[in-house]
Amino acid sequence: MRLPNPRIASQFRQVFVQRDKMASKTEMHQYLKQSLDHIFQNNKKWVSSKKETDASFFEKLSAGQSPDYLYIGCSDSRVPANEIMGLEAGEVFVHRNIANLVPNVDLNVMSVINYAVRHLKVKHIIVCGHYNCGGVKAALTPADLGLLNPWLRNIRDVYRLHEKELDEIPDEHARYNRLIELNVMESCRNVIKTAAVQQSYEDNHYPIVHGWVFDLGDGLLKDLKIDFEAELEDVKKIYCLSSGANSEH
Amino acid sequence: MGVVRLTGQSGLIARAAGISRSSSGSLLATQSRATRMTAPSVPHTKPFSISTPVSCASHKNTSAASPSSLDINPQPKSQTDIAGADPTDRYAAGLRLNKEWAAQTARDHPSLFPTLASGQTPQILWIGCSDSRCPETTFLGLEPGDVFVHRNIANVLHPGDLSSSAVIEYAVQHLRVNHVVVCGHTACGGVAAALGNKNLGILDPWLFPLRQLRERNLKLLQSMPTSEAASKLAELNVREGLNIVKQKSIVLNAIQERGLQLHGLIYDVGSGVLSELDTEDSEEVIRARLTAFQTE
Repeated sequence: MRLPNPRIASQFRQVFVQRDKMASKTEMHQYLKQSLDHIFQNNKKWVSSKKETDASFFEKLSAGQSPDYLYIGCSDSRVPANEIMGLEAGEVFVHRNIANLVPNVDLNVMSVINYAVRHLKVKHIIVCGHYNCGGVKAALTPADLGLLNPWLRNIRDVYRLHEKELDEIPDEHARYNRLIELNVMESCRNVIKTAAVQQSYEDNHYPIVHGWVFDLGDGLLKDLKIDFEAELEDVKKIYCLSSGANSEH
Repeated sequence: MGVVRLTGQSGLIARAAGISRSSSGSLLATQSRATRMTAPSVPHTKPFSISTPVSCASHKNTSAASPSSLDINPQPKSQTDIAGADPTDRYAAGLRLNKEWAAQTARDHPSLFPTLASGQTPQILWIGCSDSRCPETTFLGLEPGDVFVHRNIANVLHPGDLSSSAVIEYAVQHLRVNHVVVCGHTACGGVAAALGNKNLGILDPWLFPLRQLRERNLKLLQSMPTSEAASKLAELNVREGLNIVKQKSIVLNAIQERGLQLHGLIYDVGSGVLSELDTEDSEEVIRARLTAFQTE
């Protein structure tokens, strides 16, 4: 896998910035067509480069996947899972939604966790948030965002769970950053609430759940160093599903 | 609607192709990552042995005793150290490679991260499968900041799913992306599950739309060998997913008002190649859709 050359990519991006200045519909149509065409060319080049390094790269992948990680992160375009972790195709199972939430009743993320733990038997589950998260920002704003309201309300609930700590932070930006971290930790707790995780850990001693925050300002990942066993014990006090007969979700 | 043919070789494309790959810097980088990939910790090996589970506590002891492999994170007893105690563990590798990637990227382009920190303007919303073999930004040859991403089991879209609905709403309405892509892939585990008849608990309601497609296309799918049927169902699922995207009024409005384009793609995990489906609708279909779904 290549490391993108950011200087060149930036020039490339500037070409796209011009798009907003294009007046006519024809120009826009032409631009849209070209911007997708270059992706297919990039894809072909990526394939060639993988084959040069390992002729059977795709053959191996087509045989099946056995990733060790489930990554639950934000949809934000600036936080591409494989790139920030330096991992290859086949190494990390990925779910991305607005603000890396793990709502208890969201069938989407729950099916991802279930499949990753019970069927792929991942060893680590990573919930990765990021500073400057638009979703968290929106949840701190007193505004009606229509369809986004119920989704973002989960973040307001995180605030309410940690109201005292957050209210005591005088600096607004620091409070925002802390909410981003707490939101990751609550998502981790929601992951740990699932029967799949509790039962697998009891039987196999994995998966371990981790909380990270990606810093867009320097590209570095910050490990929130969640003490998984302590969290598990804490969560199981109320949410224990480890020995139930009906072992779904 | 929204079909782009892979034809033109315009100046912009040539430029894009040239500048995105020809530099020695990126070739070198490719080389170094490729070397890492073929190192002993091959992605397909299992770093944890299922037969000899080691408790968290003993991991911690091990790592405290031999912290050498984890000089990036000197505090003892962190999860990073736990994972780092095993030299084949790719979790620790992920954290370490991140540091390398961040340093390399910052060296090559000091303004990238500050720029990213100021906001995102992705052109593409990508709705794809969670499958580890389908890392979109990687196989599209794109960069951080380019693709807004939702990935779930079997890239299924349910009309009432709040998660994907929120993603589409945010991407189309607030970020004003120019392309929405629904991408399926060959050898999809979710598709295979829906072609079988095993009770999978909570996964079953999620895979429901795939079973509906199976029912509606039963004869066709039964006439095909297994892998071909799976690819066919993956394709039908992409078409159905696109329909659900197109039934959202914000999407219909964006198509009309600013030329938002929709694309259905299939990614072949056996070759790494992307191909685009012809998803053009007849005028009659478009008219009916607008009548039934467009709201003000």
